[in-house]
Amino acid sequence: MRSEGDSMAKISQGGPIAIDRRAMLRQSAIGFGSLAASVLLSQSQGLGQTAPERFALEGFIPKAKRILFLFMKGGPSQVDTFDYKPMLERDHGKELPFDKPRVQFAPTSTLLRSPWKFSQYGQSGTWVSQLFPEVARHVDSLCMIHSLHGTNAAHGGALLKLHTGSDAFVRPSLGAWVQYGLGTENQDLPGFVTICPTLAHGGVNNWGSAFLPARFQGVPVGNASTPSDQAKIRFIEPAVPRDRTLQRWQLDWIQQRNQQHLAAQGQDAALEGRIAAMELAFRMQGEMPEAQDLASESLATQQLYGLDDPVTANFGRQCLLARRLLERGVRFVQVSHSDAFVQWDQHGDLKKGHEKNAREVDRPIAGLLDDLKQRGLLEETLVLWSGEFGRTPTAQGTDGRDHNPEGFTVWMAGGGVKPGFHYGATDEYGFYAVENKVHLHDLHATLLGLLGIDHTKLTYRYAGRDFRLTDIHGRVVREIFA
Amino acid sequence: MRSHLPSLPRLRWPIALWTTLLFAAFSNPSCAQDSLELFEKQVRPLLLERCASCHGGQEPEGDLRLDQAEGLAIGSRSGPVFVPGKPQESLLWLAVSGESPDLQMPPPPHQPLTHAQKRSIQQWLASGAALPVTAPSTDPTENASTDFANTPASDLWSLQPIELPVLPDAADEWSQEPIDRFVADRWPENHLPAAPADRTAWLRRVTIDLTGLLPTLEETEAFLRDPAPDAMERVVDRLLSSPTYGQRWGRHWLDVVRYSDSNGLDENIAHGNAWRYRNYVVAARNADMPYDQFLAEQLAGDLLPPDPSDPYRRKIATGMLVLGPKVLAEVDERKMEMDIVDEQIDTVGKAVLGLTLGCARCHDHKFDPWSMEDYYRLAGIFKSTRTMEHFTKIAKWNEAEIPTPEEVARRDTHQQELASHRDRIAMARQEAIDRWKQSLATDMPVPEDPEPMLPEADRQMLQKLRDELKELEKKAPEVSTAMAVSEGKIDDVPIHIRGSHLALGKKVARGFLAPVPLPAPQIAPQQSGRAALVAWLTDPEHPLTSRVIVNRIWRWHFGQGLVRSVDNFGELGESPTHPQLLDWMARNFQRDGWSWKKVHRQIVLSATYRQSSSTTHADLQADPENRLLTRFPKRRMEAEAIRDCLLQVGDRLDMGVKTSYLHVKNREFFFDHTSIDKTDYNHPCRSIYLPVVRNHLYDLFQLFDYNDAAVVLGHRDITNVPTQALCLMNSALAIDSSQGMAKRVLALDGTDAQRFALAVRFALQREATAEETAMACRMLDEASQRGLDPLGAWSLLCQGLLASNEFLFLP
Repeated sequence: MRSEGDSMAKISQGGPIAIDRRAMLRQSAIGFGSLAASVLLSQSQGLGQTAPERFALEGFIPKAKRILFLFMKGGPSQVDTFDYKPMLERDHGKELPFDKPRVQFAPTSTLLRSPWKFSQYGQSGTWVSQLFPEVARHVDSLCMIHSLHGTNAAHGGALLKLHTGSDAFVRPSLGAWVQYGLGTENQDLPGFVTICPTLAHGGVNNWGSAFLPARFQGVPVGNASTPSDQAKIRFIEPAVPRDRTLQRWQLDWIQQRNQQHLAAQGQDAALEGRIAAMELAFRMQGEMPEAQDLASESLATQQLYGLDDPVTANFGRQCLLARRLLERGVRFVQVSHSDAFVQWDQHGDLKKGHEKNAREVDRPIAGLLDDLKQRGLLEETLVLWSGEFGRTPTAQGTDGRDHNPEGFTVWMAGGGVKPGFHYGATDEYGFYAVENKVHLHDLHATLLGLLGIDHTKLTYRYAGRDFRLTDIHGRVVREIFA
Repeated sequence: MRSHLPSLPRLRWPIALWTTLLFAAFSNPSCAQDSLELFEKQVRPLLLERCASCHGGQEPEGDLRLDQAEGLAIGSRSGPVFVPGKPQESLLWLAVSGESPDLQMPPPPHQPLTHAQKRSIQQWLASGAALPVTAPSTDPTENASTDFANTPASDLWSLQPIELPVLPDAADEWSQEPIDRFVADRWPENHLPAAPADRTAWLRRVTIDLTGLLPTLEETEAFLRDPAPDAMERVVDRLLSSPTYGQRWGRHWLDVVRYSDSNGLDENIAHGNAWRYRNYVVAARNADMPYDQFLAEQLAGDLLPPDPSDPYRRKIATGMLVLGPKVLAEVDERKMEMDIVDEQIDTVGKAVLGLTLGCARCHDHKFDPWSMEDYYRLAGIFKSTRTMEHFTKIAKWNEAEIPTPEEVARRDTHQQELASHRDRIAMARQEAIDRWKQSLATDMPVPEDPEPMLPEADRQMLQKLRDELKELEKKAPEVSTAMAVSEGKIDDVPIHIRGSHLALGKKVARGFLAPVPLPAPQIAPQQSGRAALVAWLTDPEHPLTSRVIVNRIWRWHFGQGLVRSVDNFGELGESPTHPQLLDWMARNFQRDGWSWKKVHRQIVLSATYRQSSSTTHADLQADPENRLLTRFPKRRMEAEAIRDCLLQVGDRLDMGVKTSYLHVKNREFFFDHTSIDKTDYNHPCRSIYLPVVRNHLYDLFQLFDYNDAAVVLGHRDITNVPTQALCLMNSALAIDSSQGMAKRVLALDGTDAQRFALAVRFALQREATAEETAMACRMLDEASQRGLDPLGAWSLLCQGLLASNEFLFLP
């Protein structure tokens, strides 16, 4: 069982909210004479840049230190974006010449060609549809997996599966596992931040820590209902405006009382931990508004992310905030493209819906990639672009596509993946993954692998057994490692 | 079979009924012997020869099984098949005698029974129809008790019989009470007990522990002034009889049964009636309902006779089985059904037995003795239970109607209104037709439905009446419902190879965990087996049920169980630090009528519990994890206690019983895709009454390690994250409570020092020290120099007290 008592042991095994001892002593008005030096030492040991040996993927030196996950909620269509299928054009209106899946979310009819033209880009000659002209500039940096597949055809299950590896049970989120494996790099900020996440379809479980210690859970900045310029961490500001010096003054008093209490109670890790956490909270309160101050970015940078265009500004701000958090050492940042409807879920109105969605994200994502490259951050940052599933090449109504977990495309960039590379394929119409299939469990194993973590070794004992992100599954797709 | 359970005389189990049935007819034992001989020598052979080929095996015709004596006793789908002593009233006789044209057994074209055979049956029935008590099955492989016999005894500690250990000698003044004797017995020889906590500290500790609230000034004063030797006992009695006790300890149980007001998972819709179960739990705990009865009601309350004083209570109790998170939009309905069964097994397994049975869904348990057969035996029980109304997405869980008398009256009135309106329509129609007929020439043929021929005005009049009827139909008054189970389609479940519903193996008969060394009660063919499950679980010889619960109670008092892995008593769980104490407590618990309150009393009055929580260096060296209970374990208050105490000290807490604060109706979505959370937590009620929304728990609760509400959790973590500190610094709850407290303090007409003393008594119950008073007075001076008004200054000071470790940790 876990308690603060043995969490100290866990901290020394990696994955702490590490306390910078000097910073703490410097900032504290009182000092922490009685804080056990051993606690601080074991915490700073957790500041590892790479995975501790017991989790490490053998024979591999990782490049990626952090993950940026661009989540496209609702399920963008692979055959209308990055998985070009000329046969679909040719056989438009005909029956699918093979069986549809046993389990389907909604009935679909005949094959439906893509309303968008595809062209080849870059040296890699990658086909991209008209929907992503800006991202298309970066194809030679992208590594596409065309053969992703999952098991769940409903949003809720598919979101949970993508984020936690399980659609039936509450399990820790990918970001929590990553923090557990690698710890945090910034003492003043949480290690896992999710920007404007959706509260539907699994909601908090998609960034929760489940049975992992709570400090590994994602900290949400706003949610999908919040415009990104108003998104904040909960309780980061006083409910009633309060002068910061006054708050410091009050905190000093609290800490003084805490010290006296500790002295009377005798050595205790939990009491000491709370004293440290109060200091961290105070620093976070100072640090977070600064991290969120996008106005301090140059006009050129703001334009790069599309902040000058009302269509792209909302998602652009999320991407720019993500970069600022990554820069500050946040280990796992998720950005969700999710709105008042299920964003990419075009059962009907495919043309209108996908066009609107792509417009909102294309420029910000391309700008983000440019920016990461310019700042030299892309190499150590693994960018993942994905929905919870793809869509059927067959039509729902006349202008719509149903959910399709059987085969879809995700792409990655930076962080040690082969640039301008394609892996796996769907059938000639883009329905099923058929070649070099990559299951969601394999994707998880691969993401951890790129961070230098062996997914079979990253375990946590809970309720009598060792749990993994990948349960008993998962293959590391080494073929895409640069 | 239930005779060993004297605490539950009012529960009547079908098995008990059967036993009664078997022997009621015989006042003279020798008559019974004759009748039994008749059965064994004549009736059984003919039943096997002539009937068992259809009425036998796992799926007997009409659910009547005649290849086993107990099958005959249990009866068929349509009920009992005989009345002892009365052949003419017995279905069995009716069927074989040839007297009924509708029921002839064996059915044609099979030959009827011979006269001699018929006579045997008639004689046996007339003689009282005795049956052997433990009827040997004709098919030994199907007998549950045979399964048990074939299973090698497990050496898992938790499956060994519960002992009644001898109390260790009281070594000294300290260890007078039984608990303390067991605790002291484990200490090293020269260990000196920790000093007792002072009286104020004990009062604060026990009040928070039992009620989740702080002692009031009056309560503190009264206790400190009470010199009587039983002052502590009277405090405990007062706390245990306070309704605030159930609001705290009911919540502990809700953690274990993953209580929630929403489904969570994929389709987060409202459990609009879950609160009825929640209030049931609070009331049951306040009434100190015996734990065996508490379990019986939750697992099989629908099968028990209703309690006349509270006729729906037992139905509502079964809501426990329905509350689990479900993938309601699972496209594969068979998978959904088995996932729900799995969730129930997981919950009951962990909550009641401390077992992780889920593993055996796909393979024999790797570490514990549970096989896939064990799992699917239980799966049959839950699959035969109706938990869902239907599985079509979005699937609908089962609810039972629990109408109030007013609702019944309203519904009756509405029915009457509908009937009279229909009468009116019929009458008006007839009158219109009659008028129309009179206007016709007599020789004109009248069509079968003359209505279209009626004058426009009449047709409009009728249409209007019919529209009114439709409107009235729509206004059917709503009737209260509760999440509840009932008996479903009774069936055994085949083994799902690798857990897949697409790869089925052999069927296994409904039953229990074979490695538990306990005779398995028989499950009747027409019953799910939940009643028998309860009988099995609450058998005092069950090695797990009572151990698991006394250990949970211990955990909730001390922050750690005697078995630290409170939800796992398997091989991978921990073994008890004090095995004898655990067994003694389990036996004592049973002897005390499965009463929680008696366990509380023993614990909180023990010297072990009364120890100081201060830690010395020597303690840390000798017993770093406090496994030997050398001190009272320090622990932070739980989320609910923090909130309730903040409200209490800010003079804002409403202690009343509440129903539901959900803003959405039953089965409505909490969030559409807009992600806007409209749930309102801004009620000053006790925390247990606030909505528990899976996937989106109240942020304050989530922050302070509330349970996840989707899984069984008998041990909440105590984590320490900086956002907790942010909450105590910045939340409206903290700021408003501090201000409320400041107002109470300022209401005292006195010096700063006197006011500070009051503030410390409010928050910490103790007297302020001179040192801290001096510090506070300095702070107040500084505050006024900074230009703060008294309320502002005192609010900051009070918040400081409330955000400090001393407030947040049990003393």
